[in-house]
Amino acid sequence: MLKILSNALTDIVGGYERRRVWIALATEDIFDQHRRTTLGPLWLLVNYFAFAATFIFIFTPGPLDPLHAIYIGVGLLVWFYINDTVTQAVSLFEREEGFIRGTTLPLSVYVMRLTLQNLIRSGYALAGCIVILLLAGVVITGAWMWSALGVLLILIASPAVVAVFAFLGVFFPDSQFIVANLMRVAMFATPVFWGNAGGDPVRTALYYWNPFTYFLAIVREPIVNGSAPLSAFGVCIIITLAMWALATLLLGTFRRQVALIV
Amino acid sequence: MVSIHAHDLHLNYQVREKLTLRPRDKRLPQTGGTISGTGAHRFVTALDGVSFELEAGDRLGLVGANGAGKTTLLKVLYGIYEPTAGSLDIRGKVDALFNINLGFRPEATGRRNILLRGLINGWTEAQIAERTEEIIEFSELGEFIDMPFKSYSQGMGARLAFSIATTLDPEILLMDEWIGAGDASFQKKATDRMNKLAEKAGIIVLASHSEELLAKTCNKRLELEKGRVKAFG
Repeated sequence: MLKILSNALTDIVGGYERRRVWIALATEDIFDQHRRTTLGPLWLLVNYFAFAATFIFIFTPGPLDPLHAIYIGVGLLVWFYINDTVTQAVSLFEREEGFIRGTTLPLSVYVMRLTLQNLIRSGYALAGCIVILLLAGVVITGAWMWSALGVLLILIASPAVVAVFAFLGVFFPDSQFIVANLMRVAMFATPVFWGNAGGDPVRTALYYWNPFTYFLAIVREPIVNGSAPLSAFGVCIIITLAMWALATLLLGTFRRQVALIV
Repeated sequence: MVSIHAHDLHLNYQVREKLTLRPRDKRLPQTGGTISGTGAHRFVTALDGVSFELEAGDRLGLVGANGAGKTTLLKVLYGIYEPTAGSLDIRGKVDALFNINLGFRPEATGRRNILLRGLINGWTEAQIAERTEEIIEFSELGEFIDMPFKSYSQGMGARLAFSIATTLDPEILLMDEWIGAGDASFQKKATDRMNKLAEKAGIIVLASHSEELLAKTCNKRLELEKGRVKAFG
């Protein structure tokens, strides 16, 4: 067990020492993906606005409710980040096969490269979210500190989630399609744009048994309700610790074998 | 002092059957070697008791048929694969030139690619800045250095890769199927640089099928067959 922990730590420390590599590559990735376009990465902002407007103006019945717009705006911001993190992680080591077989870079370099890519993408969506919050006339309160903590917790969980799903993709290649489909369904099964009024038992079950609910809640509730979602924080901390334990185990056990398997 | 001491190196691993809904992948593993067992219990012996010693100034040519274990041995020396048995004592900083296009971004300029490749190689930004002009000069890319890499011919890309890989005077340089980089004059420059590296107490390990190149470049030869040493000297 100590050897596994030591292997994982060696990889993680190596990844930190090579941070210039993943910062440079993640930045290149974002601009490469939009290099030929007129708007460039601003397409990420357009994409966010398109979804937000659809859910705010088309899927919400009745007159426009600024509080509901904030609910959807923040919910979509967090959901897009979670969705990108999970779906892209599954094929991560396969995409990085050339590097894994041709360099001695630690696996955590690739994990952090994807994490940073997703963070940069979310930065554009965040700009859109801020616009929605301003238009909705939101007032900043002390409770927003909880929201900032929620964002921090999601960021802490991200590398572990990426690593776990990346290993899943190595051992079970079909998982990238299974996970992509599950995440498409999960968007509707997660309270991104709907709330739980308590009347529908199916909706209530989806609300409480869906782990994504709690990651949305720790960022959204302080802004929308001005409250501190302590129980949601508790669930998220447990999930984060579990994911880090699993990621450490996988990294420590398989990090040198990935080059032979991928 | 730079040296490589490999004693009774083995690389054995189990072929992991991936959980998949497709028909089973029957291709040979990419490490070459020999396969034993069947079904879910297939084992690959990629290297089987490989021993050799190299000292400063040695230029070793690795030869053998496809799948003999040349690339696998290079990757073990570089640290990508971990030997499952035996001992490997390497003294000196190891650099490798396996896939010449690895890490090069088609949309980025040659200059930007020097920075990226340098970072991947573990160089500091100061080291990269210090050597950039020398790399550009040696690669003979001229004004193309500020053009996207995708506009380069294969030879231009190979010249840039070789220039970057050899610019920091690696103490030990591993090369797989050495690039036919550029025209005859560049080949001569590249060979001269390799000779200088070896003279400066470096070690070069070069895997190639070209007898002419090996005869011109190397002073030692290791022949592999199915992961075993067939001849060394």
